[in-house]
Amino acid sequence: MENFTMASVRSTANRGRRAVSLWMAAVAAVSVFGVQTAHAQEVIKFGAPLPITGPLAPEALKQKQGYDLWANQVNLAGGINVAGKKMKVEIVYIDYQSNTPRAVQATERLITQDNVQFVFAPFGSGAAKAASTVAERYGVPMIAATASSSQVYDQGYKFLFGTFTPNDTLTNPLTTIIRQRLPDVKKVAILARNDLFPLAIAQEMEKSSKERGLEVVYFEKFAINTLDHSSALAQIKAANPQWIFATGYTNDLVLMRKQMTDQRIEAPVVTMIAAPAYQEFIDAAGKGAENITSAAWWHPAVRYKGIDIFGTTESYVKLFKDTYKVDPDYANASASVSGALFQIAIEKSGTINRQKVRDELAKMDVTTFWGQVKFGPNGQITSLEPPIFQIQNAKPIVVHPAGIKQGDLRIGVK
Amino acid sequence: MLALQVLTNGLVLGCLYACIAAGFSLVWGVLNVINIMHGGFIVAGSYLAWLAYSSMGIDPWFTLLIAAPLFFGIGYLIQRGILNRVIAAPVLVTLTLTFGMDLILNNGMLLAFSADYRKLILSPPLGSFLLAGIVVPVDRLLAMVLALGLTFALYLILRHSRIGRAIIAVRMDRDASLLMGVDIKIIYAVAFGLGAAMAGCAGVLLALIFPISPLSAGAYLGKAFVVCVLGGLGSVPGAILGGLFLGVTESIGAVVFGPEHSVTLSFSLLIVFLILRPQGILGKKGYE
Repeated sequence: MENFTMASVRSTANRGRRAVSLWMAAVAAVSVFGVQTAHAQEVIKFGAPLPITGPLAPEALKQKQGYDLWANQVNLAGGINVAGKKMKVEIVYIDYQSNTPRAVQATERLITQDNVQFVFAPFGSGAAKAASTVAERYGVPMIAATASSSQVYDQGYKFLFGTFTPNDTLTNPLTTIIRQRLPDVKKVAILARNDLFPLAIAQEMEKSSKERGLEVVYFEKFAINTLDHSSALAQIKAANPQWIFATGYTNDLVLMRKQMTDQRIEAPVVTMIAAPAYQEFIDAAGKGAENITSAAWWHPAVRYKGIDIFGTTESYVKLFKDTYKVDPDYANASASVSGALFQIAIEKSGTINRQKVRDELAKMDVTTFWGQVKFGPNGQITSLEPPIFQIQNAKPIVVHPAGIKQGDLRIGVK
Repeated sequence: MLALQVLTNGLVLGCLYACIAAGFSLVWGVLNVINIMHGGFIVAGSYLAWLAYSSMGIDPWFTLLIAAPLFFGIGYLIQRGILNRVIAAPVLVTLTLTFGMDLILNNGMLLAFSADYRKLILSPPLGSFLLAGIVVPVDRLLAMVLALGLTFALYLILRHSRIGRAIIAVRMDRDASLLMGVDIKIIYAVAFGLGAAMAGCAGVLLALIFPISPLSAGAYLGKAFVVCVLGGLGSVPGAILGGLFLGVTESIGAVVFGPEHSVTLSFSLLIVFLILRPQGILGKKGYE
């Protein structure tokens, strides 16, 4: 329309043709508007800014799989029940190219131009924190499927909710178990990717370790895009720790594990967060993955009977596996449950009014395939007990909590 | 002992950097083309090695024999068919063109292999050995030796073969070599082909060391840039020196300033060199 108008202004000849064009454009605009109105009555639009290209692309894919699975299930069932009327779900994706400022722009575009009713946060703590400001400004409920750092939720926002518990819910049980099982473990070395989540969880680990009488003999950060960890690892080796705790994403930790083997670095306990939860880490690290411990917010082995569209954890895992031919990991499941939570809140409130759906989310206390979901006053989930697992025979085996344990903790990483 | 280990790590890493940068330096120096696709070629080489090993059991050492002519051919055709059309245009035009082709290459690899990280794991693994208390990983050492060998081979081609001399002649004075009867278009295509072959071979070797993903292309390109500026454009020995200098500086820097600053350090070096010695360590004369 804008292009047409500009072209018309520039044109001085052939006024007749211009009038016809104007009329046609007006008809087109009305018909598009009409379609959108009809469309909006049938469909609830959800916005999902994701890093579909760039370094975070693998993470985006996991989230997209989770959202799509939920949307497909809802639409297969006829839609979300809004006060007796079934409304289908449409997810509008925008690729923000792993670039946080673009994630903020994408969120704004989804709300103001694509007219989505609700939004999912972009990937990770950093981008979620940045984009939550936009959602808050427009009063749009936002669920963050992959943001755990408390800094995301300490902004006093009312419209932001997150499905990951704070980072210390991973590091506290981990350090407690290791202290109980291996009283000889006294020295810990921590190497963290200098990025919001990996660094935040490393700092939590430092705190948890010190609280339990462990000595942190090495704590360093490495830059994003680091191609070599040999110097840091040589220093760690010289410090002779019994526990090596490394954080980063798949690329970082596969490379680091390989270089640890190269440099003959061994320790009774090696913990890596967040990659070992993903099958691609296990495949890429090969034998090096054996006995690596990790923790995550969810694991296919947990057993919950949910009131959400997926029902039990088993049925979610089966559905995911049937659809994508791989086991779901916590990032997939968190994305799916985020959609399911919106659905529960909409169905309970019987409306798609943003404020009412937000209020419903705030007072929510339900069991889902993901676990118990209850958000704290800052919007972050408080009700989960994240599992600790270890790679044993190329499979992640849950070693804690006792209720869902699949095996015992093994000692020694070579 | 720690100091020696760090120095060894730095030297080995430096040779890998040299290998990453040699072809890039040649293309930039001779053609005045900043080949943004270089990182993509390296990743494509890594995928070739991974595919050959995982599906046919071909060792990466043999894959090199396939990669070199294959990537030479691809590079030759790209230069002959596409880049030669805009070669006389300002450097920004060729840069934009290779940038565009890099996007295509990258997205093609994303489609073909997805963004998941892969790793070529040799069975049995090559392991490492102890030399006077210093651990030396065998795969890195072999990659280093081969990288040096490849770079030396490139040096020999440029120095002693007829086509190599023609490449250098074109680099020294394009117009004069044209007058001497050198077919510039073929020379350009050969130089670009050699650059692509170096990148492909580097990729094969790096598949043993780094996780493989289309997303790594940018990181390789970044290192190639720094090594070229440090070593001097178009100079093969310069690429080796620049690579070693960068590898050792990063390794020592990671210990002294902490690993988070090793990338900052390499780009700080780039800025210092651009201000104080823009021609690089060996870039002054510029003739091999």
